[in-house]
Amino acid sequence: MTEKQNDTTHFGYKTVAADEKAGLVANVFHSVAAKYDIMNDMMSMGIHRLWKRQTIASSGVRAGHSVLDLAGGTGDLTAKFSELVGENGKVVLGDINDSMLKVGREKLRNRGLVSNIEYIQMNAEALPFPDNTFDVITIAFGLRNVTDKDKALRSMFRVLKPGGRLLVLEFSKPEHEALSKAYDFYSFNILPTMGQLIANDAESYRYLAESIRMHPDQDTLKGMMLEAGFEQVTYQNMTGGIVALHRGFKY
Amino acid sequence: MLPTFLGALVEQALNQIVCLSPKLRHALAPLKLKTLVIHIRDWQQQIGLVYSGKHFHLFLNYQEKGDCWVSADFNTLTSLQDPSRLTQLIRQNKLDLEGDIHLAQGFSNAFSELEIDWAEHISTYLGDAPAQQLIDSLNATSIRAKHHAQTLSAMASQLCQDELRITIHPLELSQFTAHTRELTHRVNSLEQRINALLNIKE
Repeated sequence: MTEKQNDTTHFGYKTVAADEKAGLVANVFHSVAAKYDIMNDMMSMGIHRLWKRQTIASSGVRAGHSVLDLAGGTGDLTAKFSELVGENGKVVLGDINDSMLKVGREKLRNRGLVSNIEYIQMNAEALPFPDNTFDVITIAFGLRNVTDKDKALRSMFRVLKPGGRLLVLEFSKPEHEALSKAYDFYSFNILPTMGQLIANDAESYRYLAESIRMHPDQDTLKGMMLEAGFEQVTYQNMTGGIVALHRGFKY
Repeated sequence: MLPTFLGALVEQALNQIVCLSPKLRHALAPLKLKTLVIHIRDWQQQIGLVYSGKHFHLFLNYQEKGDCWVSADFNTLTSLQDPSRLTQLIRQNKLDLEGDIHLAQGFSNAFSELEIDWAEHISTYLGDAPAQQLIDSLNATSIRAKHHAQTLSAMASQLCQDELRITIHPLELSQFTAHTRELTHRVNSLEQRINALLNIKE
């Protein structure tokens, strides 16, 4: 299930030493952090907002809940969760990349969201929390950048409370061949050009396209979640399978 | 994704209404962070609605039960503004309700008392007097339009019933209904008599 073989792993289409991947991914996100939101809107034509809305709808989050928004980046999910859990709840925005955390913190503070959000730089493979801490964990467009995905899923399982749920929103495999071809053309031709024009960084967006192709498909990820201990694992394809939302429970 | 998109549009509209009506914000305060889930049977759609104290959050394809779960047809839901009908609708199996009934009534009451002072909001752009004049003229136009619509509707009904004779008068309809009922009644009695005769023969 893991992409780790003989201490090597994928970084896009390249094979790199496993301990180098985190640094390489960090460089990508340091480079794109400032333009991350505008690029998300441009690349997905705003549809990423709908994918995130569906994630929140599936989270079952309620007042007083503790939520971990892993790889939370610039805090789109955290902003909504912060309102939904209220003063008695808590949202932790976690990201391995401090540039992304800084952008997220500034954005949320400017929106007046301060009272129930914590910002913590963390590695998803070794979450710095006691067992059974969170009611809901989300990781949106982050799992594919993690070096050891199985280890990260086990770590999430550990910190989730019994009855809690994990939601993984991630690019996946399109359901139809025609869509897949159009999507490939868009990813490998248009996306890097847009990256070059807007963020002055074509290479990071080429990595994005490659990393999506190397990420496990819907059923493989479902199997990985089951292996990590999650139960009642289901997934929902969105936009023809370009993105999938996986959901699993801990009992 | 289309339902999610529509949900986002409705959420935007609700939040705009909350901005325009301070009274609504006040009415919604006791419902803060409670989840009302509405299952619309004929649309096969479940909607979650939460008011966070600042904004509405509306989710389509919502899968939880929330603090209050209401299930009914769309037409039944629109008639829920009268809380006295709740018991009647539940008895008729037109409505299922689980959880805190006061939550559903709270949302219903908050929206039924909705008042937006449009003149106040438009005065920011036009000034007080022109804004008030604009709203007064719009109100007058709306009343005139309703009156004209009623007149036209009455004329069209008359034309269809009396001149073109393509529809019937309501009195004719009620007469026809009464005749049909009478006929049904007679057929039923006849059926009973035939059954009784057959039973005797056996």
